[in-house]
Amino acid sequence: MTRLAYLIAGLALASASTAAADPNCPGPSCTATCDTLSLPPIVYFQTGDTQTNLMKAMGRKLRDNTPRPLTIGFITSGSCTNIQEAYHKTAAISATISYAPSTAEVATWDAGSAAFTCKAPANTFPDVDNSAVFNSACTSEAPPNNVVVNNGPIQAYVMAVPELSDQTAMTAEEAYFVWGFGMAGMISPWTDESNMFMRTVTKSTQITWSDSIGVPPNRWKGSAFDQSAQVLSSLQNSQKPEAAIGILGDEVYDGARDTLNVLAFRAYGQYAAYYPDSTFTSHDKKNLRDGHYTVWSPTTYMNYIDPASGAPLNDDAQYIIDLIIGEDSNATPAPNFAASDVVASVGLVPDCAMQVQRAFDGGPLSLYSAPESCKCRYEATVDTSTCATCDDSTPCSTGVCRDGYCEAN
Amino acid sequence: MRHLVILSFVVAAAAACSSNKPPSQQHNDAGIVDSSPIDSNVGPTVDASCFTNPTTHLEIINACTTATAIYKDSHPPLTLPDGGLPPLPQN
Repeated sequence: MTRLAYLIAGLALASASTAAADPNCPGPSCTATCDTLSLPPIVYFQTGDTQTNLMKAMGRKLRDNTPRPLTIGFITSGSCTNIQEAYHKTAAISATISYAPSTAEVATWDAGSAAFTCKAPANTFPDVDNSAVFNSACTSEAPPNNVVVNNGPIQAYVMAVPELSDQTAMTAEEAYFVWGFGMAGMISPWTDESNMFMRTVTKSTQITWSDSIGVPPNRWKGSAFDQSAQVLSSLQNSQKPEAAIGILGDEVYDGARDTLNVLAFRAYGQYAAYYPDSTFTSHDKKNLRDGHYTVWSPTTYMNYIDPASGAPLNDDAQYIIDLIIGEDSNATPAPNFAASDVVASVGLVPDCAMQVQRAFDGGPLSLYSAPESCKCRYEATVDTSTCATCDDSTPCSTGVCRDGYCEAN
Repeated sequence: MRHLVILSFVVAAAAACSSNKPPSQQHNDAGIVDSSPIDSNVGPTVDASCFTNPTTHLEIINACTTATAIYKDSHPPLTLPDGGLPPLPQN
């Protein structure tokens, strides 16, 4: 009997220490339950995979945010799926959670490195759901009264070709025939449907392009992939680089510029084709911001509130959302990093840097001026700013001094 | 229905600009100024008219800019005689 008691005790001890004994925990292949890893409070996100770099970069900063250390634990799925999750809590998290390690854990880690992983506790639902399109692109249903939809940074989408391709631009009319007719569209060199790489119908990349060229998501010709990474690798490994073409989030392309080329795009009614950036090699998103590049959507972040008071159910979730959407002044205590710089660093454009707006995916553009512009600060972050600089002793001759730059308003 | 509305909008816009005339001859708007293509390496010698004070969608996307512009002379074979786009195939 005594031996049996020792055996049971030993097995219990071994079981309890599984996570600690696992040489991969914490790490990129850890399967321990997240709440056993001594992480700062975890906020669970379900996002589009175009937002992976933001989740990793912002997650890293928040792990190191000594005023309020937090962990972004995220999984990815299609935007339309995520909206349904937010509105109806359709499924508890079953996929492996990804998160960024702190600097203390891995000093050399960055958003290009493999995320650390863990398993969500049973019956955990996302605290925040993300869509990279207007919600109206996926559903006509209004959000429940306990869900708040926050408009976040702007996401551009591109058509990309292998670096060996000679192609430089595509018109909307060509895109209509390429993706809507496939080989029968007769738009050379894009007539090989096995080398036309698209996304599945719930993905923001597919939806936004669909609304830009007038081909519904479920009517496209080509090879559909669940993940951006699959489109990326298909382009990189295509044996017919001149015929190959794929759709990607702009930030995915930005991370693969050494192997792919972006196509300039000419919208319906436009005289010329433009890149998202002002030139083929720049990273300033100038054409996206001023309306010359039309293929974009805002990201939305949805979290839960008490309908009676309007107070967020998860203060940590609201804190992170405020940083992502540019409501830094609501985020207390103030973080030890500039959230807008993180947003800009992963190829997204803060709303405050935009000069145009639209009301729905593919909708007409109108002029826009953010209540508190960050155009100068954004340009200084991604390129160079021509704006005047300012401080307490050097006030602006016109405009408002904000973050060291004289912004228009 | 939403796609139909959007498609109607874009096709109308496309039809409005489907002339082979250079843009400066398609519009008679005081806001248009002529400028040379920004990047001579990628742009043919077409007239690059643009709007200096854009307000509408079409003016915004054709506003004057210092960005690289690529002028592509494209004539998809299946374009309708009036410059419109045919319906998508059923399968």
